[in-house]
Amino acid sequence: MSNIMKEKKDFNINRRSFLKISAGAAALTGLSLPKTAFARTEAQLSTLIDLSLCDGCENLQTPACVGACKAINKDKIPQVVGNIPEPWPRKTIEDWSKKQEVTNRLTPYNFIYVHKAEIDVRGQRKTIFVPRRCMHCDNPACATICPFSANSKKENGAVVIDQNLCFGGAKCKDVCPWEIPQRQSGVGVYLHVLPGLMGNGVMYKCDLCNDRLSCGKLPGCVEACPRQALLIGPRKEIERIAGERARVMNGYIYGKTENGGTATLYLSPVSFELINNTMAKKPGQPDMKPDVKRRMAATDPLGKAVLAAPALGLIAAGALNWFSRRKEMVKKEQKNNG
Amino acid sequence: MAERIIVEKNLVVRHGAIELAEHWAIAISGLILLLTGIFELPVAKRYYIITVPGLSWSADFITSLYLHYAAALVFTAAGIFHLFYHGLLGEKGMIPQKGDLATSITVVKSFIGIGKEPPMHKYLPEQRLAYVGMAFIILMLIFSGLVKTYKNIYAPDMPQMVLLWATWIHNIFFVLFFLAFLAHMAAIALRPNRPMVRGIFTGKVCLDYARHRHSLWVNEIEQCQVIPMALADETTLKAADQLYDASTVYEPEAQILKAGGIEDKVPLAQEEDKATSARE
Repeated sequence: MSNIMKEKKDFNINRRSFLKISAGAAALTGLSLPKTAFARTEAQLSTLIDLSLCDGCENLQTPACVGACKAINKDKIPQVVGNIPEPWPRKTIEDWSKKQEVTNRLTPYNFIYVHKAEIDVRGQRKTIFVPRRCMHCDNPACATICPFSANSKKENGAVVIDQNLCFGGAKCKDVCPWEIPQRQSGVGVYLHVLPGLMGNGVMYKCDLCNDRLSCGKLPGCVEACPRQALLIGPRKEIERIAGERARVMNGYIYGKTENGGTATLYLSPVSFELINNTMAKKPGQPDMKPDVKRRMAATDPLGKAVLAAPALGLIAAGALNWFSRRKEMVKKEQKNNG
Repeated sequence: MAERIIVEKNLVVRHGAIELAEHWAIAISGLILLLTGIFELPVAKRYYIITVPGLSWSADFITSLYLHYAAALVFTAAGIFHLFYHGLLGEKGMIPQKGDLATSITVVKSFIGIGKEPPMHKYLPEQRLAYVGMAFIILMLIFSGLVKTYKNIYAPDMPQMVLLWATWIHNIFFVLFFLAFLAHMAAIALRPNRPMVRGIFTGKVCLDYARHRHSLWVNEIEQCQVIPMALADETTLKAADQLYDASTVYEPEAQILKAGGIEDKVPLAQEEDKATSARE
């Protein structure tokens, strides 16, 4: 145990040093202000959630990351209309506006929660706290197949829902292996179109505090963590640190390959299979199944064929055109000959 | 181009195998794209489409995407093939000509009994105008669809402005494609156009119909094609006999007669009689 603690100390890089890393990278690209440079390098960022450091803020009523996130986003959702239009024909309304205080699951008003996992490791009882939020996948189906492109992946890696474009159809939730986005009915653009027939609110989830990142600030959860269990930095650096820490603690990483790779790496001294066993997938409470496949990856070969289709059409047109002209020529020659 | 008159069968070849393959490739893949495009919206669960027998897969966006891609492959290849194949051959029959708008109005008026249709080429003037509209819609769908596909595979972090343009072009032209499809169906449901339906299935239309409505086209073919005189006489007389007795002809021809075609065709038959007497 003391060994692990020592190793933790050795590899404990704080947030300030990440700003320094970013500033160095920015200096190379000719930018001088470290804080703004952090965002403007537009390098892909990653976050590291070190479960060996997270204690779930048990001494606090609400974990610091959850509290900070709620405080930052408290005014995000506009006032919900008094009479939420009843969707037709399926009459599902999801209204969390009167349960804004909920913190033990994901809701439109709560983008991060902490799962407490009690695990038996070789006869020893271990408690692991797992902050859960959007993983900010590398190729997120929630964003790529949003029919209105309301959900999009930013160059810095954040996956962000534009609440002014979202109709709340919940397609993003359906295609997310962790069903992260949560719907609030009675808000959003659908109210001004055909509220009874089309749309049902707006989907909400963690956006990695993208606005704060663009001002050179840290995401609320990262900034608030008293144990520096959450870190953010350039992707390669985060991957390197996660790898080194995992090697030293003989630990496990989650998020590097799951769903095709994500911009969130969990580091744990306990296997994620064991952690996952403590998680029953419920609405707003995702599981943590290792090796989750990116389902859309199976459609990529066909998609690549679609991208090649114009060339196929062109080649076929050229070949058949040549054939038609040649046939015509042969006909003419035959006619001339006799 | 395989256009020719088959006098002994009273038919004209209107479309070759390539045109038929193009049309049906675009039509069938287009319909699959329309359906799977709808299923890419979150409608299947909400509207209980999943409860329709055989459509339980409709709420699975990835399955719909498979089908959408498969159909897009055919649609895109066929669309580009059509553009370049006919472009390289210099075929301009479907390109709108000067005066097509005015002539289209005349044709549409004739449908409701106001005035008469002018003699026409292989394609009707309104067909040429509709073709350009449909071609533009298809090209925009292909272009925006390719951008979206590229984004799905290689560039999920594509600049949002590009993404929004591609998305909204795709969505708007999807609606226009659906409307154009409905207009296409409505056009072939019109009585005077019905004899053309056979052409898009078999490649051939009735010679009598073609002579009546596409006389300029038939004249062009006749100038290029030598028809044995004996056969021509026999068929024309046979066709003329049929025209006098509408009860024995198949329905589309009967419709031509009802639509006033007999007025155009009686003189033709009379001329033929005169020609026969002169030869005797």
